Amino acid sequence: MALPDLLQQLDEFVTAAVTAFGQAASPQALEESRVEFLGAKSGVLRALQKQLGALEPADRPQGGKRFNEVKRAVEAAFQEASARLASGATQRSDRRVVEFDATLPGRHFRLGHLHPITQTIEELKDIMGRLGFSVADGPEIEDERHNFEALNIPLEHPARDPLDNFYLAVAQGGSPGPLLLRSQTSTVQIRVMEQTPPPVRIIAIGRVYRPDTADATHYPMFHQMEGLLVDRRVTMADLKTVLRLFATSYLGHDVHIRFRPSFFPFTEPSVEVDMSWEDGWIEFGGAGMVDPNVLRAVGYDPDAVTGFAFGLGVERLCMRRHGVSDIREFYRNDVRFLRQF
Amino acid sequence: MIVSWNWLTDFVELPADPAEAAQRLMMAGLNHESTERVDDDWAIDLEVTSNRPDCLGHVGIAREIAVLFGRQLRTPAAALSATGSSVAELARVRIDCPQLCYRYTARIIRGLRISPSPEWLVRRLRTLGLPAINNVVDVTNYVMMECGQPLHAFDLARLGGRQIIVREARAGEAFLAIDHRTYTLQPGMCVIADATSAVALGGVMGGAESEVLDSTTDILIEAAEFSPLSIRTTARTLGLHSPSSYRFERGVDPEGVDWASRRCCELILQLAGGELAEGVLDVGCPRSRPERITLRLAEVPRLLGISVPAKRVRQILADLGCAVERADEKEVQVVPPSWRRDLSREIDLIEEVARIHGYQNIPEDVAVPMCPSYTAPRDRIARKARQVLTATGFDEALTASLVPVEWSQAFSPWTSAAPVVSQLAMKGILSEAPKDLSAADHVRRSLVPSLLEARRYNESMSNAVIELFEVARIYLPQPAGLPQEQTTLTLVSGQDYAFAKGVVEQLLAALNIATELTVTSLSLPLLDAHKCSALSLDGRTLGYLGEVNAEGCKRFGLRAAATCAEINLDLLGQLANLTPQFAPISPCPSTARDLNLIVAESLRWTDLLATVRAAAGEDLEEVCFREIYRDTQKDGADQKRMLFSITLRSANRTLTGEEADAIRDRIVAACTANHGARLLG
Repeated sequence: MALPDLLQQLDEFVTAAVTAFGQAASPQALEESRVEFLGAKSGVLRALQKQLGALEPADRPQGGKRFNEVKRAVEAAFQEASARLASGATQRSDRRVVEFDATLPGRHFRLGHLHPITQTIEELKDIMGRLGFSVADGPEIEDERHNFEALNIPLEHPARDPLDNFYLAVAQGGSPGPLLLRSQTSTVQIRVMEQTPPPVRIIAIGRVYRPDTADATHYPMFHQMEGLLVDRRVTMADLKTVLRLFATSYLGHDVHIRFRPSFFPFTEPSVEVDMSWEDGWIEFGGAGMVDPNVLRAVGYDPDAVTGFAFGLGVERLCMRRHGVSDIREFYRNDVRFLRQF
Repeated sequence: MIVSWNWLTDFVELPADPAEAAQRLMMAGLNHESTERVDDDWAIDLEVTSNRPDCLGHVGIAREIAVLFGRQLRTPAAALSATGSSVAELARVRIDCPQLCYRYTARIIRGLRISPSPEWLVRRLRTLGLPAINNVVDVTNYVMMECGQPLHAFDLARLGGRQIIVREARAGEAFLAIDHRTYTLQPGMCVIADATSAVALGGVMGGAESEVLDSTTDILIEAAEFSPLSIRTTARTLGLHSPSSYRFERGVDPEGVDWASRRCCELILQLAGGELAEGVLDVGCPRSRPERITLRLAEVPRLLGISVPAKRVRQILADLGCAVERADEKEVQVVPPSWRRDLSREIDLIEEVARIHGYQNIPEDVAVPMCPSYTAPRDRIARKARQVLTATGFDEALTASLVPVEWSQAFSPWTSAAPVVSQLAMKGILSEAPKDLSAADHVRRSLVPSLLEARRYNESMSNAVIELFEVARIYLPQPAGLPQEQTTLTLVSGQDYAFAKGVVEQLLAALNIATELTVTSLSLPLLDAHKCSALSLDGRTLGYLGEVNAEGCKRFGLRAAATCAEINLDLLGQLANLTPQFAPISPCPSTARDLNLIVAESLRWTDLLATVRAAAGEDLEEVCFREIYRDTQKDGADQKRMLFSITLRSANRTLTGEEADAIRDRIVAACTANHGARLLG
């Protein structure tokens, strides 16, 4: 007999015996329990005592000590049950020296918390997954082809200004020109379409980088979700419908979608998307039909397929949902913040 | 772009309510920012996207209103009657840098009188928030705000040699601007020079030495077209942003240059008098005319999902200023107007149709085909990893991908290749970090320093329990091509090596990784010389684990001991088994035995374990380490006791006590043979 096993049996014994004595409703029932647990010939306690002798000698002192504690506790419980039945009380005795306080807190073990941005991303992935969009992935350090050129952002476009991007100091040997931290997740669109013939139905979620100075509403790194659907006969009505289904799922009630004309190099027509919120509209993100130049850049035929794309900022959704007023809270990593979500 | 409501009435019959106009404009692409009362006028602030420079003037906005409300647009004719001598006799213009300045026109008015502008002009400028200066300067601003073409007036008398030379700036050339500050120019910038020096920074700002003064009587009116890219670079490099540079950056109407010049002269003659010289100095290459575009009507429903009647399509395009050259039931051919350089393709026309017809006509409840979606293994691995980490009590952190050089150098176990460095640093992200750090411009090669800083911050807030992890990429430079981006899981704990190792082991178990974890000791900066290990699976590096040493704590300002582990999640993705197969469960009870062996201090658990497993045979279910105990008095020096228990279970029968004892005895014998172990007791 190993010591841990015996200790465990003793624990089980004390629990079972105390419970049985406590629940005994008549002197007869109590006597039956007494014989079962404390009976001199074949009671459980007697059997445990025998096992004590089978312990390694080194373990005997510890086993014996515990055995005696258990024996005293069970005998006390029996005395108490006898007294209770003798006095005619059916309630638990209130004469116990140590009162059980059911209002004491339970024992806790520490559960960690997922970052609220992760929780938001997981929810977005879930919703878009139900709508048939799989998650695609691409590098965060990109070349200019994927971050700009294939997205119909020509060299003279202001978005390519070195002061508006995290260009890397030294071009890697053998790389196709300068590299930069991607400024948008649209890069993943290009990488997926380059490798996959249509239809394509994906979302890309991840870190993007723009050199804004960190303040309450800006951070030089944030997260974007980008959706892309390219197939035959994809229209702006499909875009509006998918966005409505998405927003309805996210908010949990009926939502309407409004398009306002806008301008993005990689979509045309381009729109700002609003969703209905209480009595008004709130900005949701940007969207549009994939520009024919983008389709051509990845070898698709814009006369054969059409597509839509949309993008939105994860931080903004998360801030609105949880009432976070300063984006920097997400990256301060104070556990008092993280443990609220 | 702020527009004056009263001003718009010059060009189009407006709806009664400014709010209605603002709403329609917003739904047609001019986002409404605000409307404010200024005197008896409304100042309406509209956001103009960068592709619509035609809307950076009142005429352009009025045109949009005319199209949306089905009204007529009225524009001034800007007709001039010249009475003076020929302009060519009064001045000369030359372009030396046609790549920076496409076209330069000049008109001359002589004998005018500078005075304050009349009240109606001052009020309109005030509505836009522009100050009134004098009648000539105000008119140039007024016309710019009317049509979007920037203009400039030079004092002709102060132009050396009565000459305009449009040329590229020389390196280091000094220029005294109208704000009386001196700017140092560089090649790529376009200057307007007279015979001796620069008198204006083309399209960006005028010069102090040729500005119009109260004493000025003769002026040269510039209306030009500059290269958008050059203007943007110049304005940005010098930090000189003006309403003029804003418009040139986005591109002006090439065919509106002369109209603006005439309109400007017309108003100056009206307000300041003087005599207009005959003709115009007009140099440079005329821009190409817009090309014909064919819109296939079937494309409209193919992209928009709604059909728009052919007649309506033609009407919209014509209203916007397109010349409809041919139209039938299948196609419309148009030449777009010169002020809409953004219209060059069929898709551009479709967007115009959608925008004016109205996006509210596109339904939001069509049947989108269903389609299965898949969760990539990468995502499933990351999700499992996060489950294990949160279940073991860790909170998830997110830290920035760029770090200061000090952190980059402090810890880089994955690579010795020099880190990639960004040209710009992330600003404002280290405001709570120690002040002596450099800017965050190094692309990180490990997450450990970022999490040590997060731990320091939490310690400084007296947060009691700080258990943090992050799942993010590190960037390992490669000899060629893009850096390798490794998805990495890093944890930093206030507990010890064994706890962190336990978390890693539980992670491997959760991913059903059959391969045995190999631990080799190594030395890493920041980490304790003894309690620091490389972890590997199948001979491939899984990661690093160690307790932060005193030096590491000092370096990252930590008060209490910490342990960190950094794991390559991509490798786990390759080895994980996300579809575990059922293994039959024995119907028989298990039996346990405890062992307490005296062994040499140098014996490692992993070696003992191998012996135990080999000796026990197939009925061994589990080996469970209990503790190490040392009693040198009884056991002698360099000896330790290893206590562990084994659980035995047969697949098909209940093991007897004798059988269990026999297995234990085999194990002891093997341990004695292999490791010189002695059974205690």
